[in-house]
Amino acid sequence: MTALLSAEWTRLAATRLWLWGLLAALASGGLVGLLALVGPENFNPPMPGLDTEQGTRVLLGLLGFTVFAPALLGTVAVAAEHRHRTITTSTLFAPRRWTWLAAKLAVYTGAGLVYGVAASAVAGGALFGAAALKGVTLGLPVSTVLALLGRIALTMAVYTLLGVAVGALLRNQVAALAVVGAYFYMIETTLMLIPGVKLIYPWLPGGATSALTGFTYLADAVADQTGGSATALLSAPAGAAVLVGYALVAIAIAVAAPLRRDVA
Amino acid sequence: MNIEVRGLTKTYGTVTAVSDLSFDVPPGAVTAFLGPNGAGKTTTMRMMLGLVTPTAGTALFGGRRYADLPAPSATVGAALDGAGFHPAHTARDHLRVYARMGRYGTARADRVAELTGVSAFAGRLTRALSTGMRQRLNLATALLGDPRVLLLDEPGNGLDPEGTAWLRRFLRELAAEGRTVLVSSHVLGEVEHLADHAVVIRQGRLVSTGPIGELYGPATVLVRSPEAERLARGLARDGVLVEPGPPGALRVHGLDAAEVAAAATALGVALHEITSERPTLEQAFLHLTGGSR
Repeated sequence: MTALLSAEWTRLAATRLWLWGLLAALASGGLVGLLALVGPENFNPPMPGLDTEQGTRVLLGLLGFTVFAPALLGTVAVAAEHRHRTITTSTLFAPRRWTWLAAKLAVYTGAGLVYGVAASAVAGGALFGAAALKGVTLGLPVSTVLALLGRIALTMAVYTLLGVAVGALLRNQVAALAVVGAYFYMIETTLMLIPGVKLIYPWLPGGATSALTGFTYLADAVADQTGGSATALLSAPAGAAVLVGYALVAIAIAVAAPLRRDVA
Repeated sequence: MNIEVRGLTKTYGTVTAVSDLSFDVPPGAVTAFLGPNGAGKTTTMRMMLGLVTPTAGTALFGGRRYADLPAPSATVGAALDGAGFHPAHTARDHLRVYARMGRYGTARADRVAELTGVSAFAGRLTRALSTGMRQRLNLATALLGDPRVLLLDEPGNGLDPEGTAWLRRFLRELAAEGRTVLVSSHVLGEVEHLADHAVVIRQGRLVSTGPIGELYGPATVLVRSPEAERLARGLARDGVLVEPGPPGALRVHGLDAAEVAAAATALGVALHEITSERPTLEQAFLHLTGGSR
């Protein structure tokens, strides 16, 4: 297994994908920093400032919205094996196909965690820096901010795992990207409009993500519009468990499906 | 290590790609796997390696299926037609990824690059490689594990004449070391001086297996003469099979060029051209399937 892990790492490190990933991480962190510098009170419409709890949560929540980016990178990385037809050689070198898929999942989950830590570190640094520049104190205790940043980093790792699993499952790079992108941008939001779906929202990927990252805007917004009360989300550990559960199901299918597929 | 293929069959819906195919590939020799395009060569090789699940039948390497070998890529090296490379990897990156996957080490990756001539373009991105270079890189990847058995799918495609000559020498050396080498091709001329044995398939079925020289059947001689008709009558009187060739020419079966020349001299017929014709793979097929003219 160490051989497969080291091979996957070599494969990732030899392309520029890791560089694009790092740039994306720094950019998403930097975007939060830029918004912090502008200040939520200057947004259009204005929002509570950095020195309020809500203002700080808005900015951290925006970072939470970028978790789909590492998922897409994971999807690209795995679907590339099919697109560039290296899958044939990979399968020949590891005929027990689940082994190299497991190695890929491990390497990319690690990479996703690095992505999350990089994005969170930049965002956190920028947030504290902006507050210091403006001479205000963040509206949340430092320990709470750090904990939320840590949860976002962890979410990014789990999402990378999900992305890899979807890429392994769908094989077609464009289709895989479309499915992952469409789900996060449209499908789940649309589902929320159906009465009753709200009840299962805590167990959907978006609901579990909200529970893990601690941001509930979507649930609150839907509650506002439908006139109902906000759906109670799961606890953070339960949300994390649900997300990992989705990833495990996707992986199980991704591992089981290629076993019966012909590599053509 | 020998290869035993027994009853391999693959059907896709109602289409039978490969049908009840059985043959053996001995060690220490080069065996050509011949058939026209679409005959089922690639599907057969993919089934032998477990990439495509056979509808029926088995392929065993020293008595084991590929996936059951203790060290698959160190036992059987395969360069398949459909195998690709990540376009953002250099040739060296590609070899190193798979050297790691098989625990063969970076030094081995560099060694196979030297053996196959990949070193000359090791730093180049694979998207910028010519077909011939891709063939060499594929071959180098197959050799990473120093395997006893080599399965090569159309390795001569895209090679220049110099590359073809090199490949021939290289594969003969590998076979002389006692390895089992199976090389597929749709061009008989490409493998006739390379292979010792041939397995010939058409439309997914075995047509023939045996020494490659026996594929051809009797040679023919093309004769051009201003008195072609008189020559044809004279030869036919002696029981020689003669058929019309291109205008002003005859195709003579069962005699070599010297015998045809002697017969023409005896008849006092002038000859403008006399050419021994090497049968094409298609003619060899016709011969083998009993459809000879």
